[in-house]
Amino acid sequence: MLEDKLLVLKCRWGSTDAMCRIYLKYKDYLLTLAKGLLSEQAEAEDVVHDVFVSFARVVGQFHLTGSLSSYLATCVSNLARDKARARMRRTGAPAPVRPAVRSICDPQQRAIETEELTQLRQAMSQIPYEQREVVMLHLKGGMKFREIAKLQGLSVSTTYGRYRYGLDKLRSLLNSEGKK
Amino acid sequence: MKAEQEIERSVAKHCATQKSCTRASSEMDKRVLSDALRVYREAPKSEPSLAGTNLRRIIMKSPLTKLAAAAVLVVAVALSFHFFAASTTTAYAIEQTIQASHSVRYLHVKSFMASIPNEPIECWVEFDLSGQIKNMRIIKPAWMDPADGETVIVWKDGEMEFWIKKKNFLFIQEDQEIAAQVLGMMEMLDPKHAAANIQQAQEEGDTQVEIDEPKNKAEPITITVTYQAEDGTPAQRAILFVDRATKLLDSIEAYQLRGGKYIHFSTAEFYDYDKPIDPKMFTLDDVPSDAMRVDQIAQEIGLPQGDLTDNEIAVEVVRQFFEALIAQDYAEAGRLFGGVPAERMQKRYGHIRFVRIVSLGEPVLNPATAELKVPYVVEIEENGVITKWKTKYSYVPVRQVHGQAGRWATTGAPLGI
Repeated sequence: MLEDKLLVLKCRWGSTDAMCRIYLKYKDYLLTLAKGLLSEQAEAEDVVHDVFVSFARVVGQFHLTGSLSSYLATCVSNLARDKARARMRRTGAPAPVRPAVRSICDPQQRAIETEELTQLRQAMSQIPYEQREVVMLHLKGGMKFREIAKLQGLSVSTTYGRYRYGLDKLRSLLNSEGKK
Repeated sequence: MKAEQEIERSVAKHCATQKSCTRASSEMDKRVLSDALRVYREAPKSEPSLAGTNLRRIIMKSPLTKLAAAAVLVVAVALSFHFFAASTTTAYAIEQTIQASHSVRYLHVKSFMASIPNEPIECWVEFDLSGQIKNMRIIKPAWMDPADGETVIVWKDGEMEFWIKKKNFLFIQEDQEIAAQVLGMMEMLDPKHAAANIQQAQEEGDTQVEIDEPKNKAEPITITVTYQAEDGTPAQRAILFVDRATKLLDSIEAYQLRGGKYIHFSTAEFYDYDKPIDPKMFTLDDVPSDAMRVDQIAQEIGLPQGDLTDNEIAVEVVRQFFEALIAQDYAEAGRLFGGVPAERMQKRYGHIRFVRIVSLGEPVLNPATAELKVPYVVEIEENGVITKWKTKYSYVPVRQVHGQAGRWATTGAPLGI
């Protein structure tokens, strides 16, 4: 936390080194989050790219009031939502469900990926985006419901409701999968 | 049937697995950094100088940063320049000063405003082996804040203590935001950064740098840095004096251009390079035992935010603060008021008989201090008559407690402390 505050402060004063360090520190975290929301690697990379370019534009006069990771996760979430909506408008369908084990995983990680996780990934892509967003931001992004509610412009109870609905839907999808 | 917790565990496991699989490629790194840094270089920045609004805001937010900011003003003026490369052919190179400064562990600095030459702001700094600031002691002279008088501030391993002698008041705090600001500003005071910034400026090229090595070996090397305004005309100047033998900075003088002349504005002098500082300098052993002590590290301050919004928790803090006063629970009122001791609260508020809260209004954000000001109307009883309490302030300021994430407390009260 102190490191982040200092990095932001240095960015405000013009340190390119601090800017690079913020990117290197959070790139994988944000890419993971974006990919969880969008499924598509290329789209997720575009989101992270756009988030950092936007951040670079404003950081010189930026005041960090909370955690930097939550701020960046919020930016990723906003952009990912825009992309998901644009895709729905364009194709009328959510992102295609990819196999759970992607080529970027090494063989050892490939082995770790169980059938259950494969099912879970497929189930995640089937729940409504709004619910997936809350589930991902809470469980992956580590954000509090209050922070997610602020991001979504909703009450905390509505956000929490979406989380519960999301988990219920996941449970339902996984149970039906298990019965097959 | 999968239980809810089991689903949560599965999702968390899924996240962990995916995280290990998702790595940004080198192509992505190259693309993002190239685009982001290009945009970043063109974007406006907040200059760390007195002229900058942001520094003024920082100064307002904390007595410590107010002090630290003042202490580094003289250097900040110099370092907010964008130095440029002058073609110098002298034997001395700035790199020598950077090299010499890197091994410095201890430093004593005095900053003078030219208009008040006899009352410097003094800092003693200890760096760790990696060159980061570890401990420091700062003495703020009385002229900076006549109401408080001279203040001693000690910053040690992330904790800071303020000793306001005149008010017999000791304040202990740990806050990362302020610490970051202080560290950032103190880095500017660090001679190795001063020299490194000049060297960087030589590479980038917007200002004029002249290095003079007098033939008389007894005289110091001088580096004169002249900042050019956007229209290319000279604007500010700093002169750095470098010791011939050690290549370390002796002092920096800052000048401002007024009426066509460079007017001496301030000076920073560097003493006792690497002379070990007595560890006692980084403690406040001489504080009287009867000093009012507000320790924001040893006790939990205010209320946890939970799922309340910022406005909701601000109102809740004020509501509970007044309820505590109504119940004459001065310990609780003090806990909600930044950790002020119960005796002090009783002394200040015990003579007032609070009856009830009439209303608490919608909070208003003070962007300069990040406080939410909560308007209030309360009733008190005086001589058997109930009236609305009239004070100088019609609101109570509330903000997040420094160093206690998720907790909120009042930072002021109608009668102060």
